[in-house]
Amino acid sequence: MSSPVKSPVQSPSPDLESSSVFPRVRQVSSSTFLPYRHSNPSLSSLFASTSSLPTSHPSSGSATPTPSVIAGASTTTGSHNGSDQTAPTSSGRRGEPRDLILRAFVPHVGVLASEDTEEMMREKGFVEGFLELIRPFGEKVPGKVVIRDSIGSSRSWEEYGLRFTGLRDGLGAPKPPIRRSLEATMDPINGSPETIRPMLSYARVGGDISQVEDLVDRHLAFAESRTEPDDQPEDYPDPKSPFSDTISPFYTLYLRRLLSAFPMTPHETFAHPVACVIAISSRIPNPIDELRRLYDSTNTGERRLPPWVNNDYLRYYVLVHDDDHDDITKSMALYEQMKRKFGLHCHLLRLRSSQCVPSDDDSLRLPASEWVSASEELAEIQRREAIYEGEDSTPCIFESDATAIRTFVRELATQSIIPSMERLSALWNEQVVSRRRGLSGRFMSLSKRWAPFGSSRTSSNPIGSLGSTNSNSNYDGLQGFYRPDSPEAIMRKLADFAFMLRDFKLAHSVYDLLRQDFSHDKAWKYHAGANEMAVISALMLANASTPSSGPVATASTSSLSTSSTSSKFRLETIDNLLDTASYSYITRCSTPYYALRCLCLALELLKLRVTVNTAAADSAVTWASKALELGLVGPLGHVLLAERVAACYTVRPGLGMLRYGSRMRSAAFWNVLASDHWIRLGRYARADHALIQATKAYGSDDVAGMHSEFPHMKEFVDQLREVITQNRGPTALDDNGEEEQDVEETEELLDMKPHRRSLMGPVPPSPTKLIADGTTLEPLGEKERPDQDGFGVQELSKSDMQESE
Amino acid sequence: MSYYFAIIGTKDNPLFEHEFGTSRQGGDGVARFREDARHMNQFIVHSSLDIVEEVQWGGGQMYLKHVDSFRNSHVFSFITGGNVKFMLLVAPDTHNASRASSASTARSSTYGQVSTYNPTAPSTEEPIRNFFIEVYDAWLKTIMSPFYQVNMPVKSPVFRGRVAGAAKKYL
Repeated sequence: MSSPVKSPVQSPSPDLESSSVFPRVRQVSSSTFLPYRHSNPSLSSLFASTSSLPTSHPSSGSATPTPSVIAGASTTTGSHNGSDQTAPTSSGRRGEPRDLILRAFVPHVGVLASEDTEEMMREKGFVEGFLELIRPFGEKVPGKVVIRDSIGSSRSWEEYGLRFTGLRDGLGAPKPPIRRSLEATMDPINGSPETIRPMLSYARVGGDISQVEDLVDRHLAFAESRTEPDDQPEDYPDPKSPFSDTISPFYTLYLRRLLSAFPMTPHETFAHPVACVIAISSRIPNPIDELRRLYDSTNTGERRLPPWVNNDYLRYYVLVHDDDHDDITKSMALYEQMKRKFGLHCHLLRLRSSQCVPSDDDSLRLPASEWVSASEELAEIQRREAIYEGEDSTPCIFESDATAIRTFVRELATQSIIPSMERLSALWNEQVVSRRRGLSGRFMSLSKRWAPFGSSRTSSNPIGSLGSTNSNSNYDGLQGFYRPDSPEAIMRKLADFAFMLRDFKLAHSVYDLLRQDFSHDKAWKYHAGANEMAVISALMLANASTPSSGPVATASTSSLSTSSTSSKFRLETIDNLLDTASYSYITRCSTPYYALRCLCLALELLKLRVTVNTAAADSAVTWASKALELGLVGPLGHVLLAERVAACYTVRPGLGMLRYGSRMRSAAFWNVLASDHWIRLGRYARADHALIQATKAYGSDDVAGMHSEFPHMKEFVDQLREVITQNRGPTALDDNGEEEQDVEETEELLDMKPHRRSLMGPVPPSPTKLIADGTTLEPLGEKERPDQDGFGVQELSKSDMQESE
Repeated sequence: MSYYFAIIGTKDNPLFEHEFGTSRQGGDGVARFREDARHMNQFIVHSSLDIVEEVQWGGGQMYLKHVDSFRNSHVFSFITGGNVKFMLLVAPDTHNASRASSASTARSSTYGQVSTYNPTAPSTEEPIRNFFIEVYDAWLKTIMSPFYQVNMPVKSPVFRGRVAGAAKKYL
């Protein structure tokens, strides 16, 4: 229940901050001790996602704009293609977290390239091979993508993406080092023979909260160091503007890294490959044999995925043609031959093999990948910091190559992956789900013995002695997974497919069915996963179906406009599901990462519901504070979540003109908390930002300056402000004058409490004493519990005496 | 248990504040708030005024029972006819040695169970209601003073003594 803030807070000097903030054990701790180089443009381009203006939606578009600007400084770059423009999405700013979630759950595509292809890519300057080249382009499929849902209606999506990964990347567990080194020897993609990056042993897999926090902390440190000299920090919204509902770029980053690079686990199939791109180059002497060999290696060889992964994913064959050296006619012939042998899922990708340098005419920096795992981005930051001169080391590609890859990605997505996913969903929906859902299916869930799939289980079930239904389940309790051909696993995969195809209605109904099955089988991790996704799909559905109307002023759970979702979306239902999911994740499976992911997503989606149903904000807050209480997050996540809580309170509309029932005071309170935490972390710019939000919230009430009525509150806020002012230099606080006259007013009030802490001296007291009611935070600082020695007794009796005189 | 009692005027201004501890179960009636977290009480009480403003229109009751909680502090409220709010913050004692040691183990063993204190149980609500009613009685008599004006802080030692008496009697 207590989040581990145990380190005494450092003296407020901005240089020490990153070294002593995190008491947690860090995998990449060495990286955080390196000094920052402010003048390194390649480094600053890495931080572009958080240091750009928050209004320029950092997660839209496939490329952060900064690298091309740098390239443009040296030479005239070719014009960008359409995918680089940050076009506002149809969902608009209101649905920003929703958009993020949509883009997080996309089909994963494994990439497997032959040795000669990798060789060609290394010549081209991509040390990590084919995957490094195509990965950024997968993040946005150019053009609209049309997806048909289960009832046959089509819908086109502007933003659709694929996630290219190494075939076994998602397996690299974040923790064990043995596993990783083993994998590096096995995997030609990770372990390039030159070992150009010897110090970097990172995993292309997410799911490690402490690494996410490390990364966000690096971004914060960079932002602080950059904005400290100038007075007007550009990366914060205008303080004068009315309550900007902007999501802080750091929280966006936090969320994005939480959702990046899902680990491959049995209980959810998002990270399981939907397809595998098998690439050969035109240089190979016997191409068809090589393709066969690669194909076989995905089935039986060392690249075979674990038994809980359905191995019947789509194989997509790519012939990479070397435009500079090889003959196109020969490649065309080979391509025709491939088509005949392997069917239609083939592509001829024409690339130039010579290395592109930035001074070339039509060069284009490789766009940065947005969905890399936290450890990978940390390693990249570390690598770039090691470079002394400000030379951007991002490899360049030719414009023609980029166009070719975009065409390839589009074709892969729209002609192969999505149709095959649609086909499989329809098939499974018909064969498995409708059988389960129908009358016979209800019996089937009771007596699985007679089910056509039920006999596939061979090993005995260790927990099966409890009842007849358990002993007949498909769940292998010993190893903890369902076999991929069991109906439960297929249904889970179907639901995940439907979710990735954005058919949330189907997804929700299947998750709902699965919940019962999994709880029946005591497959707790699956159970938690199904509950989590049932919540998220229901919320996605609800958010999609309601038009962005004005605030509906009803405190009760209002009914939805569409009748189809009203039964699914009830706050009580959502709360129940979330409770089960977080309980199972934390207590039964002890997987805090998934619990945090679940709660964060639910928080964001519930917050979006607030315009329809005001109670959703309360629910969102409940779950956020639950995440805080359970200690799922480290100190940094704690602050970010506190800011989100404040944001939830801020958007909650009130009743009538006086806004009765709005939560401005609570919002201000949480902002103060966040500000205090930021100070403890040494991030004064953020603290300032939070404090400005807080004072705005306090001041916007009918009674101006009301927070000064409470002596302790006023005193505390003033202390915070003083600490921030001292540490941020002369950032003029424009409301200083008005504060001063408040002080005089409060002096009289203070008489009531003669023994308040006399901390308001010229020396800034370390504000390290907040939120210390012992539940989530250990007491901090030098004076430990002063009233244990009877100080409290003394004080009260004294004050009583004074009062009675 | 430690209690922080505040009377809040119509403009969110505190009119009266009092801290005391429980007198039940051998308590000595002394508040044991942490010295370095004392301002938190005001923050919490102030932020739960939001909830009070929302629920005060709901029932027509003066006693609003448990309105809010933050971490393991719970806030009870009572609203007078003059829109003056009585807020009572209840916090379990945070600094006995046993609790500090159990905090680390509790995280793994129990889930979501902040404390054993149940703010909505009738056995908790009734004494607080009685306390509020007695304070209300004293409050009315105090503000009938011809020199009292609306939203003026109350400094009367007699009133403070009455509140302390009610606290000792019921809480």
